[in-house]
Amino acid sequence: MNTNTSLSRGQAWQKWLWRLLAVAVLAYLPVVLTDRAAFGIALSNMQLLNLGLTQVNLMLIAMLGALSLNYLTGSAGLISIGHAAFYATGAMTAAITGSQLGWPFPLVLLSAAVSGALVGVLAGLPSLRVRGLYFVLSTLAVHHVIVYVFLEYQFKFFDVVGIPYAGAKLGGWELNTPIRWYFFLLALVVLVYAGFAASLRTREGRAMQAMRDHELAATSMGVDVRILRLKAFGLSSAVASVAGALFAYLLTNVTSEAFGITFAIQFIAMIIIGGMGSLPGALVGAAIWLLLPSIIGGLAPRSSEAVGLTRLFLVEGRAQFVQLIFGMLVIVLLIFAPRGITGLGRDIRQLLASWRGR
Amino acid sequence: MFGQVLFSGLALGSIYGLVALGFTVIFKATDVFNFAQGMFVVLGAYLAVTAISLLGLPFPLAILFLVIASALVGAVIHILLIQPLSGRPMLSVIMLTIALSIVLRSVIELTYGPQGRTLSTPLPMGVLVVGDVRMSYLHLWAALVSWLCMAIFGAFFRFTSVGLLMRATADGHEAAVVSGVNVNAMNRVAWGIGTTLAAIGGLFLGQLQIASPELETIGLLALPAVVIGGMQSIPGAIIGGLLVGVIEQMASAYISPKSSDIVIYLLLLVILMVRPWGLFGQRELGRV
Repeated sequence: MNTNTSLSRGQAWQKWLWRLLAVAVLAYLPVVLTDRAAFGIALSNMQLLNLGLTQVNLMLIAMLGALSLNYLTGSAGLISIGHAAFYATGAMTAAITGSQLGWPFPLVLLSAAVSGALVGVLAGLPSLRVRGLYFVLSTLAVHHVIVYVFLEYQFKFFDVVGIPYAGAKLGGWELNTPIRWYFFLLALVVLVYAGFAASLRTREGRAMQAMRDHELAATSMGVDVRILRLKAFGLSSAVASVAGALFAYLLTNVTSEAFGITFAIQFIAMIIIGGMGSLPGALVGAAIWLLLPSIIGGLAPRSSEAVGLTRLFLVEGRAQFVQLIFGMLVIVLLIFAPRGITGLGRDIRQLLASWRGR
Repeated sequence: MFGQVLFSGLALGSIYGLVALGFTVIFKATDVFNFAQGMFVVLGAYLAVTAISLLGLPFPLAILFLVIASALVGAVIHILLIQPLSGRPMLSVIMLTIALSIVLRSVIELTYGPQGRTLSTPLPMGVLVVGDVRMSYLHLWAALVSWLCMAIFGAFFRFTSVGLLMRATADGHEAAVVSGVNVNAMNRVAWGIGTTLAAIGGLFLGQLQIASPELETIGLLALPAVVIGGMQSIPGAIIGGLLVGVIEQMASAYISPKSSDIVIYLLLLVILMVRPWGLFGQRELGRV
């Protein structure tokens, strides 16, 4: 817990300056990535780290997923391998209400949230009976059940090609360009972030963290852990479900294969990389997970020039190489920095501060 | 039809039981719920490919190579990854094994290419017809060898002094340390055994299908198998494996091929809700 209530005047000013700068950067970033130039100076692909705006948009959606899993796992202490299933729930609800019934986009998102919350509470029901490892396995089982339902649904009403999604618009504002998606998703991420941060500061949020740290102690303080668990599950999966619907609309076509077990694992990896229980950590983890592959892709020389190991790692086996780096990163962080990158950053800052003599 | 399905279910189930047994050995010794067990199966299949097709070893030597190499991999994993993480929260350890399987998969795909490889061994290929049940020799061999391995390891735990020490370690770490048992060495042996059992399963699965990273999904059926059987129970793992094999084959024969996974996981869910300690496990008591 950081208590920044007693900031001096200068520090407060500094803080606002940083925020303003962040807003400016975030607002200008999509322009840079679309025009491939900053302030009239053209930038090469390498200077832009081989990033495109679509990649950034996918990252923003992944951030929603990572934030919601972090809320569930990092703050409420409920480990779930079923997060892909909630994405699938959202995508399926969007297919029913959006693609089949033709509801307007905001209503589609709302329906995804509601069905996500319902499915989440159902998936959280085993938590009333089983703990720890057994609960993790029940989320794994739930994952398989939901993905199977998605598969059956997809083959009944659509076909192998997948479910098409179209017509994402808010009132008259159609989300038809990456830049529009960017601002919409950015606003949503900020909203969800602020929402989770606020909810963690409420009485229930604190009770939830008490439950994570010591269930029995929390119970004896008068916390009803059963209801709290289901609430955490409902909220988290509602957000994940909306993210799933957005994911489907951004890609415009989704099949059941998209929501495999690897999809669920990536969210766990994100919050471990970023730092368990830390909201900024979830953002950092999602950013690394989604952006690193294309950054590594940018390092690849033209395929005719590459030889030997460079060729193997950066051209032919690039996907595997990226996976290798991710796997190693998670292992190294788990062994040497269990609080993730944000925890590592905090440690380094404290170390620097103590060197400077505070 | 029914006899046929039952036979292939039991034969495949024997392999699952073997893999699940390896899983249970690791879990009992180190409390690690090993999501990399499926990848150890893949590793076994590719070690067999390496020994037989690439190195051209004669079959008995190839088996020796497979056993030694996979045991070494297991022991090294324990030294490098599991030991530093002892005493950490469950999610860290689970995620470590998941990351391990990601690393193993990418190393295997970088080394051998992402396409599968055919694995051929000198085991007989024909079909034995009993009544109206056609039993392939390969299935029979797989089942036989699996049961043999289970018997060998059962005897090892029961009758050898190392086996006794390992059981003691699994029963109580502190008590074992106090009595002068080298707990880390015992756990290393357990990881070696667990990996080897999965690798032997991979040898057969690789031959029944092809050696490819997709075998991981089949290897991971060991997870529901151990939970259904009871996580702390060695006979439970074997019977759980058999059950999963039979259910899988029944479901894909009588319902639909796609439905086999879902039936297994639904059963898992039911077991978790009704009898979380599994069919043969011991009920865990919560302590403050």
